[in-house]
Order: sequence, then C-alpha cells, then structure tokens
Amino acid sequence: MEKILNQEKLREWVDMLDDCEVYAPAFADSVWNFARIEAGTDIDLSHTNTIGSVKEFVFPQREVFFRFEKKDGVPVLTPTLPDPKPTVVFGVRPCDGRGMPRNDTVFNKEFVDPYYWARRDKLTLIGLACNLPHSPNCFCQSVGGSPHSEDGLDVLMTDLGDRFHVKGITVKGVEAMERGRDAFDAVRDGDQAEVEKVHDTSRSFPQRPLGNLDAIPEAIRENFDSPLWADMAQHCIGCGICTFLCPTCHCFDINDEVISPTTGEGERVRTWDNCQFPDFTMHTSGHNPRADLGSRLRQRVSHKFLYFVENHKTQQCTGCGRCITECPVGIDIVAVLERVSQ
Amino acid sequence: MVNVEEIRDYAANLLKKGEVKSVLGFRRGSASAFAEPCTITDVGEATSLVWDPTCLNNLTLYLVKDRKQQAAAKNPDNRPVGIVAKGCDSRAIGVLLQENYFKREDVVVIGVSCEGTGVVDPRKLSAKLKGRTASRVTFGGADGINVSVYGDETETVIPAREILADRCLECRAAVPALNDVVFGEAVGAREFDEPFHAAKEAESLSADERWATWEHHFDRCLRCFACRAVCPMCYCPECVVDSTTFVVTLGTSAEEKANRIRWCERSANTSESAVYHLTRTIHLAGRCIDCGECERVCPVNIPLRLLNTKLEKEAFEMFEYQAGHDIEQASLLSSFRDEDPNSFIR
Repeated sequence: MEKILNQEKLREWVDMLDDCEVYAPAFADSVWNFARIEAGTDIDLSHTNTIGSVKEFVFPQREVFFRFEKKDGVPVLTPTLPDPKPTVVFGVRPCDGRGMPRNDTVFNKEFVDPYYWARRDKLTLIGLACNLPHSPNCFCQSVGGSPHSEDGLDVLMTDLGDRFHVKGITVKGVEAMERGRDAFDAVRDGDQAEVEKVHDTSRSFPQRPLGNLDAIPEAIRENFDSPLWADMAQHCIGCGICTFLCPTCHCFDINDEVISPTTGEGERVRTWDNCQFPDFTMHTSGHNPRADLGSRLRQRVSHKFLYFVENHKTQQCTGCGRCITECPVGIDIVAVLERVSQ
Repeated sequence: MVNVEEIRDYAANLLKKGEVKSVLGFRRGSASAFAEPCTITDVGEATSLVWDPTCLNNLTLYLVKDRKQQAAAKNPDNRPVGIVAKGCDSRAIGVLLQENYFKREDVVVIGVSCEGTGVVDPRKLSAKLKGRTASRVTFGGADGINVSVYGDETETVIPAREILADRCLECRAAVPALNDVVFGEAVGAREFDEPFHAAKEAESLSADERWATWEHHFDRCLRCFACRAVCPMCYCPECVVDSTTFVVTLGTSAEEKANRIRWCERSANTSESAVYHLTRTIHLAGRCIDCGECERVCPVNIPLRLLNTKLEKEAFEMFEYQAGHDIEQASLLSSFRDEDPNSFIR
C-alpha cells in the first residue's frame, strides 16, 4: 500500500492510533531519544538519529522473568510475561529497522524467547528514510543497507518536503495505515518519480567504505592473535556505551534480585550485559579469559563481522555509527576493520 | 596563542633523550571533529599532536592505566610518562600525587594554558545544532568558536561563552600549576561565571524540585559506567558495583553464592542508579578536580558534574580545601585541623 500524507496530516494519523502507545523521537536533555507521545501535536520528525535504538522496545534493559516469594515455607513463583498494549514507533531510521530482523534471529533461532516476542508481536515500526546522512559516521550502505531500506520496518515514510510518501510494507504496517484512513491521499502522477529521486540522492552522499565485506571474516580470523587489537584498544576506557547503544547488541545477564531476605521475596531479572565489562567473562574460579581491553574490542568486532556471519550469514552491524560517534575516546569500528583488513 | 609546534618539539625532545617512554597527547581522529587521545612512543609521531578547544579529554586517566598495567606486568617498564595537561588535568595529577598513586618523577607534565578560554562542551554544541553533527570546530579567538555542520558547507561562529564547558566558564586556574613546562600565556581567570555557579543555581531549588530533577536523570541512566570508566580518581581495583573478586571454589555453597554482597543490583532503575551515582559522588568528595569528564562522556547527558561540584563547594566552604591545588597538602579526608568545623559532632 502506498499513500501520500501531507505534513499537517501526520498529527491526524497519530491521533487515530489512540488505542496504541505511540513513541516518536523527542529532543530533550540535548539529545534525541524515543519518548511516549500523548497527542499528534507532539510529533517532531526533524530528528537526526535517536541515541537509544529501537531494540529497547523488544529487549528492554530490565525484563522481569518471574517473581518469587516464600509462603508458609514453600517457594511460590508468579509469572510476569509482558502483555503490552500495541505499540507504534515513529521516526525509526532504516539502520535501526535493519537491526530488528537480526535481533529476531537471535531470539528465535534456537530458543523462542517469549518475553521478546510478547513485545515484538505488538510492535509496529514506522520508518523514516534519511534524505541526508546525519553524521559522517553513517555507513549503512557499506554493510548492505541503504538510507531508505525497508528491511525490518512495517512502514517506510519518505519526506518529500510538504508531504510524506508512505509505504506499507508488512500486514501490521498496512493495518496502521488503514487506521489513519482519511488522513492519507492517493499517490498521484509524478510522486513515484519524486520518491525515487529523493532516494537516489540520499544514496549519493559519500559514506565510509568497508571494502569487500566478504573478505572481512577471514581478515579477522587471521588477526585473532595480532597485537593490533591491544594497540587499537589502547585508549578504550571499558565503558558500555558502544554496545548499549548498538541496535543489534543483545547480550544479557540474569540475576535474582531479592527484595526481602526474610520473606524470600524477589524477582528474577534479565538486564543488558556488555562484553566490555570486566565481569562479563569472569569465571567462577576468578580467571578471566578476556582480561584486557584489546581482547574485548576483538570480541565486539568479531561478534559483528565474523561469528554472526558464520552463524547467520549476515553482519550483525547495520552501520548506524552510534558506537563511533558516542565513543568518549574516538574508537572507530570502521577504522578498526580497515586496519584489520590491511 | 599556544604554538602547537612548541608542544610537538618538546614531546619529540623528551622521547629523543629517552626521558620518557611515551607522551600522552591529542591528535585528530577519524570519529569526530573533536580531538582524540593518543600515546606516542616514536619521535616522528610528535608531528601528529594537536592543541585546540576540541582537546576535551583528561589524559590523566591513562597515567592511572599505565600504573595498573606496570603493576601487573612481569617486566614492568617504570620509565616516566609525558602528558599534555590543561589546568584541570594537572590538578588530577596533583590529587594522584597526594594519594601516592605514583611519584612526581614518574610523570613529565607538559602544561598547556587554556589562555582564558577552555574547551567546547559537546552537549551545549548538540543543543545549538539540535542533535546535528559538527564536522569542524575551530577556535576563532576569545570571542567565538567556528563550527561547520556536517552536510552543510557554511561555517557559523558561535560565541565562545555559549558553548564552552561550564567548568571552563567557572575556572580560575587555567594555567597548570603543577608542571615541568607550560605553553601559552598565563591567563588564569576568565570571569565568565563565578566559581560553583552551576551548583549554586541548583541549590536555589527546593528539595522536592531537586529530587524530581535527579529522579528524572537517574531514571534515564543506562548504567554504561562511562562516567566511572573515564574518571582518573575512580581507580579502585574493584568497584562496588562489580563483583569481580568473589571467588567461588568447590567448597562454596549455593547459599554463599546467592547471598554474596551486592551493594547495587544490575537493574537500571531509579534506586539502583541513585545508589551507583551517589556512591561515586561520595567517593570523589575532596578528590574531584572538576575536569567534567563524567558529564562529557554520558551518552544521555546526565549533568553529573553538578553532583561533584556540590561536594567540591562544601569542601571549599567548610575546609577551604581545593582538590589538587597543593600537592604538599594532606588530602581532605586524611587530615584534621583544630579549626575544622565540628558542629556535626553531637
């Protein structure tokens, strides 16, 4: 389904989704991030990219698996499977959209994760093509994507100045558009050509090249024991910014959080974990196989460009550039891959 | 103006004469318009050193890292390290000297005066550009900073006052007092804002308003621990929020594992994030030298500097103590004077 939506009708469409939770980018605390919007008038799609990625909607930083307590000396478990309202997210950039099928694979392949899918099945992603790259660190095209990729999105919107071209990609996406009914106009002659022109232009901006993607796994394999990793991680501070902001990083930890030791009351929770943290690989013996930051950088890069390729035949990186832009010390995954490939 | 050639020559000379094993400095990176840290070991690399208001990092962190590495090394290389340091950075070195983390002769301080300006605050810049990326940031004299925006060829001049870091606006000691050499003019104060300006402003709010503010910020915290990781004073081998030294043996019971002390849970929620940040704040009392790194690196822009400067202000008002200003002085928490206020003892 393809429609035209005038800029001022966007609000109407949002208001017609009133039985859903609607999220859109908002600029608060000097940073763009997804925020819940109450009314269509709150929507602002002039964003660059959000600091947090859409993975947060399906893989929240904290997920309660179940609650436990002791009643008359007997442990009692209460399930806490999430049952969210249908959620619609506006302004999703195509790089984040492409992250979703990758996350779906991880949470579906060997084990179907009910917590992930309870949220995922209720989620509709309304993408917005990037007419201009937001940052010199965007490299979606170098990892097989594009500034108007439809992969993983339910709807793709393209800004044509006074109006949006809106394309329903999945059943969920078409449903969301049908809810907007009268807000949309039919596509007229020439609109299609204009969309193509905007898309062509968006692809013409120079992006940082990764060279031959197919050769990268072998280059990483060959350099597994290379001193390059330690050298490139020399100024790494070992924080979690790169992975927490990544649209595809999905490692987690599971802990029992005891609220009251006397009643044995508490929750089993899943929280994001991070390959850059010292306790990520800490063995119970006290031995840490990835004791230094070089081996942790190697792990992050290898997971995305070697192991994921081996296991799932695609890169676990969509070129959003967050890990580069937000790194406090300038560690740059494109530069890292360049050096490893030399 | 600081002549960057002089810094390069000095660094090259230190390496040539073998007086240092490496020099910590700034170079242009591939990731952004801001400079990135570098460690140079060859004389030839000295030409890559840069100096301008995009040299944000406090490189003292890497002196701490080096000490940790040498302590763990089989054949430690204990030769001194050279470091390019701003006024605030030199005070961080001062605190580490006071705390005997390393010795004065372990470090050659290549001091650089900020000359009445300071460094750019990326958060303020982001607010100006509404999230767009600066592709080039250059210093256009005391009045303005030239900023080019990515994807836009035009260059805008933004008044320095509007995008300099708060700490720079409040700074009264922009010339490194602790140094082996200083480059640039000795312009100490710039008088843009009075000291503790931001903290005083925050204090004027009611307790409820302050709690609402911090609840909002703690709720947003991702617990990426970048603020801790970047802090040169956060050098504890094991932080209270990690449990990396709980050793499990064959004899450790399930009960012992389950009941191991965890001061702070992994969950990023208000209470756990408040515990984390307030613990860090208290651990920095009388030690924080206001380099602002914690606030700079925060990906969601939590105004962490406010927490630390509040305690800095207390240390100054109650004990006339300024961290890192005098390395001969005993540190605040390890000293007692008869005239210290003691009204809190009942």
